[in-house]
Amino acid sequence: MDAVLTAFGQVLQPQVFFIIVAASAYGLMIGSIPGLTATMGTALLVPITFFLDPIPAIGAIVAATTMAIFAGDIPGALLRIPGTPASAAYTDEAYRMREKGQVELALGVNMLCSTIGGLVGVAVLILAAPQIAAVSLGFSSYEYFWLALLGLSCAIFVSSSSPVKGVLSLCIGLMLSTIGIDVVMGVKRFTFGDTELIGGVSIIPVLIGMFAITEILRKVARPSRLPAPPPVRLGAMVSGVGSTIWRFKGGVARSSLLGSVIGALPGAGADIAAWIAYALSKKFSRSPEKFGTGYPEGIVSASSANNAALSGAYVPSLVFGIPGDTITAILIGVLLMKGITPGPMVFVMDTGLVNAIFAVFIIANLLMLPLGLAAVYGSRRLLSIPQDILFPIILLFCVIGAFAANNTLFDVWVMLVVGLIAFVLEENDFPLAPMILALILGQLVEENFMKSIIKADGQLMEFFARPIGGTLGVLTLALWALLIGLSLYRAARTRRAASTGD
Amino acid sequence: MRMNDALIGGIFVLLSVIILFAVRGFPTLPDQPYGPGTFPTIIASVMMVGGLALVWSGVRSHAPLLVIADWMRGSATLHRMAWVPGFVVAYIYLSKPIGFPLLVPVLLGAFLTVTTGKPVRAAIIALLGTGALWLLFAYLLRVPLPLGLLTEVIY
Repeated sequence: MDAVLTAFGQVLQPQVFFIIVAASAYGLMIGSIPGLTATMGTALLVPITFFLDPIPAIGAIVAATTMAIFAGDIPGALLRIPGTPASAAYTDEAYRMREKGQVELALGVNMLCSTIGGLVGVAVLILAAPQIAAVSLGFSSYEYFWLALLGLSCAIFVSSSSPVKGVLSLCIGLMLSTIGIDVVMGVKRFTFGDTELIGGVSIIPVLIGMFAITEILRKVARPSRLPAPPPVRLGAMVSGVGSTIWRFKGGVARSSLLGSVIGALPGAGADIAAWIAYALSKKFSRSPEKFGTGYPEGIVSASSANNAALSGAYVPSLVFGIPGDTITAILIGVLLMKGITPGPMVFVMDTGLVNAIFAVFIIANLLMLPLGLAAVYGSRRLLSIPQDILFPIILLFCVIGAFAANNTLFDVWVMLVVGLIAFVLEENDFPLAPMILALILGQLVEENFMKSIIKADGQLMEFFARPIGGTLGVLTLALWALLIGLSLYRAARTRRAASTGD
Repeated sequence: MRMNDALIGGIFVLLSVIILFAVRGFPTLPDQPYGPGTFPTIIASVMMVGGLALVWSGVRSHAPLLVIADWMRGSATLHRMAWVPGFVVAYIYLSKPIGFPLLVPVLLGAFLTVTTGKPVRAAIIALLGTGALWLLFAYLLRVPLPLGLLTEVIY
């Protein structure tokens, strides 16, 4: 009990609490403006967290992303444009409710379900993470190697594009992580004689380039005017919400748990959780024919699932240091910058930090209710900001942000080059999530691989000799076999389709 | 900007060959075949296989080498997009000699004029935006943003 009080005490300190509230406001803004995703918002937040202590830094990221995932529902319901990809699954449904004059009910349900889903996700995190950490204290380099590799393979598996492109994206990330001093002998690798690269590629400019520059390029090319949002009566956002959610309580519970688990899978985040929860709730529904006509059941399920996924993603991130989605990949980058290496030892050595993270999650999810109402109230003004003003200012922010971490213009170059390459790759259906996961995990994979292979004296069978390590290894190989089999099957099918079409 | 898979695959194959060539010079641990080059060698090999697979499927698809997406067509669009790298490169080269407070309002104002087409409004927003970001980064977070020409004026 003492530990809990200490944790809340740490988080509720005026300065930390102020940062959490400010980050929440920022998250609500990012989420409710279409085109600014939660991942991009987090990437833009990183240069600022660089200057904060670990707990407020994590608090800022947790609060901002929690709010952003909910706020993405606001323009979805009002304008039929999802604010973040995580809301895309039920944008049409929410908009149908608007057409029926139930926009307030849709938003109210979104908000309360986001809170419930978020809190269930936190509960899963609090219950599961320390247990898994206790088991994984006995892990050696073999287990870590397989676990990281399994995580990276999952990231490819869940990305929707072709596995080959996922693998290549992964390779780029891993190659980027090898730049600098190597972990085995301290030799300089791929630095091109440049002193700036000896310390490796810095994470902040890469993140900003990948997630912000790409988006700016797309948005500057295609300036869009948002239609005027309808007026919203706040009173109607409260009444009837409770009974609606109670009617679908089974769906809320199922989707929240499902979301937490999907979030915990590396590479699969809030958006995938929302799609799957929506599809499943349609399948299990008593009245699936009402889906797509402005029926709240799908919204209830999917908006609990996407917030639950956000919390669930922290399970593997905190326990193993293996990110569950792009946002936690960024968070791990931040933790590493602060000198904290996520892993089971954090649960033994730094319980204060772990408890504080739990506390931040609970507070952020509860704050969502009052701040969410305020955001819906302010959304008309926020949505009227012209996008052609927004993106040049964000570009300036990116430039300063990339510069600020190390005070070097070299990092601004890194941001630009990575941004342009990522833009071209995304245009060609390369997923970016495997790349960022690989960049963060690269060193972990290499270090544990080298340790293992030196210990095993080159005997690859040693990688399967320990029970957990062997299981993880077999799982990884099975996943690869599945990936290769699936892509061969798909290639064969398209070829058959092409030949019959001729 | 959709490229034929064969083209992208070719780039990956080339990259992997360069990496494989570069790691030949890396040392290995005494009495062991492994060293700093082991991991990059594995990645480069995977990259080469993936690249070849893309080349293979790209050649079979008979897709054109390069297709500019519809939304990217038109000189106005490309002009606006070119402003993004242009803005960044201009900042990199000019921020030190000219200084943040003088350069950024001009640069941002110009970019905003291109995107909004309203020079007066763009100038006002550029001044306000520069001021806000200066306050946040230089004043609150103590980032040493370059003063450039103003250094002598202030000190």
